[in-house]
Amino acid sequence: MTSRGTPSRFLKSVLQNGVGRYVCQLKRLSLVFSKDSANSLGVREFIEDGVVDFARQNPGIVVYVAPEKCSIPKIVAEYLNGTVKEEPVNRKTSEEIRQLIKKLSVQSGLEVIRIRKPFHTDSPSIQGQWHPFVNRSPSLRVQRFVKEKSKLESS
Amino acid sequence: MVFLSLSRWIRSRGPDRYWRVQEVLKHARHFRGRKNRCFRLAVRSVRRAFVFATKARKAKKRIMRTLWISRIAAATREHGMKYPALIHNLLKCQVALNRKVLSDLAITEPRTFKSLASLAKRRREEGFLVALGDKGEPEGIFSRIVHSQFPDATLNPESVAA
Repeated sequence: MTSRGTPSRFLKSVLQNGVGRYVCQLKRLSLVFSKDSANSLGVREFIEDGVVDFARQNPGIVVYVAPEKCSIPKIVAEYLNGTVKEEPVNRKTSEEIRQLIKKLSVQSGLEVIRIRKPFHTDSPSIQGQWHPFVNRSPSLRVQRFVKEKSKLESS
Repeated sequence: MVFLSLSRWIRSRGPDRYWRVQEVLKHARHFRGRKNRCFRLAVRSVRRAFVFATKARKAKKRIMRTLWISRIAAATREHGMKYPALIHNLLKCQVALNRKVLSDLAITEPRTFKSLASLAKRRREEGFLVALGDKGEPEGIFSRIVHSQFPDATLNPESVAA
């Protein structure tokens, strides 16, 4: 797991999200589960208890509940910047699913990879970035021109 | 005649070799030459790459610190001082800026760095006055220590308390 071999990105927010109003970046949440099999028991319990409360508390997230024939139940989260994240919830308890959905709702759609620096600024320099002439005297910019009297007299 | 025993001599060595090989090759895809394709060469290169990555985590801290020090030294020489004098005198003035911050200031905030350099220069001159002059109340203002809640044992004993 080398730094060049694994992907990395710089710290950023999607369109400067928190600067003005905060917009929840999770757009759509689809709970895909099976009506009968034992590995979707947790999902079914969560749908009975907590899904409606979660949907009421987060009016910006659209929650789809899709009972279909699937080998493992999963949660598909779609974000405003287009990323689609699929999490298998095979044999998870209702509480674990609740925690997972809470985590997905506060994530932005940016990839979960190594962040190169824990800070970012659009204006790193206030006084002006250093260049080789910052600490040199401005007399370097001055060029004196001497009138040549002999040329004027001849012309 | 039907040959039945021939097929019984063929044994499956296991269906998962492809995935075990890909686990190694995926870390070698950005390498140069045949070691990004051939498993036998890739195994050795990937192992070396991981060893270098492990060792480099310690070395990175050393490398970054030497980089900061050389940048601060270059910036102080522009202002007519040297790096050891700057660091020692900033320490005596209880300016607890580390080398990373100092190098960032030298790049993005040149006037602030100039003021820090002149502070260190003045403190140095006050130190010389105390050392060379008579033993009395030193005249300088920067030599007076402000007692903070972090007592620093490395401060010079010549500095007088406020």
